[in-house]
Amino acid sequence: MKKIKWTILTFVILFSIGAAFATRPQHYQTLYWNNGSQYLAAGVMGLNYVCESSASICTYSYSGGVYTPYMTGASYTPIALTTEKAKPKPTEKKGN
Amino acid sequence: MLKRQVVLECIAALLILLFLYASVSKFLDFKRFIDEMNNQPLPNSWTHFLVWGIPFLEIAISAALLFEYTRLLAFYASIVLMTLFTIYAIVILAHFFPYIPCSCGGVIRKLTWPQHLVLNLFYVALSVLGLILQRSQNLKSIFITKNKHSFV
Repeated sequence: MKKIKWTILTFVILFSIGAAFATRPQHYQTLYWNNGSQYLAAGVMGLNYVCESSASICTYSYSGGVYTPYMTGASYTPIALTTEKAKPKPTEKKGN
Repeated sequence: MLKRQVVLECIAALLILLFLYASVSKFLDFKRFIDEMNNQPLPNSWTHFLVWGIPFLEIAISAALLFEYTRLLAFYASIVLMTLFTIYAIVILAHFFPYIPCSCGGVIRKLTWPQHLVLNLFYVALSVLGLILQRSQNLKSIFITKNKHSFV
C-alpha cells in the first residue's frame, strides 16, 4: 500500500510542476491597451489601471509589429475612474 | 479500512495537485502574479504579504499532506485557505467592492468568477471530507494501539 501511495504522490507532484511549466505564460513585457483607435502604454497594473471583469481585452503585448491579447476577459480601467480608497494614487516625491 | 485509505490518498492527491500547481505557477511568473494581486480591490500595501504568503502556505499544505502525521493539520489548513478564497469570490460576486477585477489571477485563468466559486466550494467539500476520514482513521489507530498495550 505504501509503495503504491508514494508512486501516486510522486506522479502527482511531478504532474503539478510539469503542468505549471507547460502553462507558463510568455515572458513579461511592456503592455498596451487599445483606446479604440490606437495602442497606448498601459502603465503599472494596480497603480495606473485595473482590469475589470468583462468580455473584452484589457491589455496587449507587442512583438514583431503585432499586438497580441495578453489579459483577456477584462476591460482596461484607469485607476482614477475606480476608487481612490481601494487603489490610492502613488504619492508624489517631495522636494528637498 | 483499505477503502477509506484509498479515498484519503485520492483526496490528498487532488489537493496537492491544486496547491502545488497554483504555487509553482505563481513563482514561475511572479511579476504577473504581483500585477494580478495589485489588480484586486484590496489595499496595495497587502500585496507584498499576500504574494509571498499565499504560495508559501500552498506549498506548506502540499508538503504536510504527504505525511500521515501532518495530514490532519494540512486538512484543517486547506479548509481555512479554501474557505477564505470562497468568501472572497462570494464578496466579489456580491459587488461588495467598487469594481469586479478580472479573474485572471486564479489557478485556471480562463475561469470566470462563478466558475471559480464552484471550484473553491468543491475543494472546501473535499477538504472537509478528508478531515472527517483522517480523524476517524486517527481515532481508530489510537484505539488499536491502546488495545494492543492493554493486552501486553
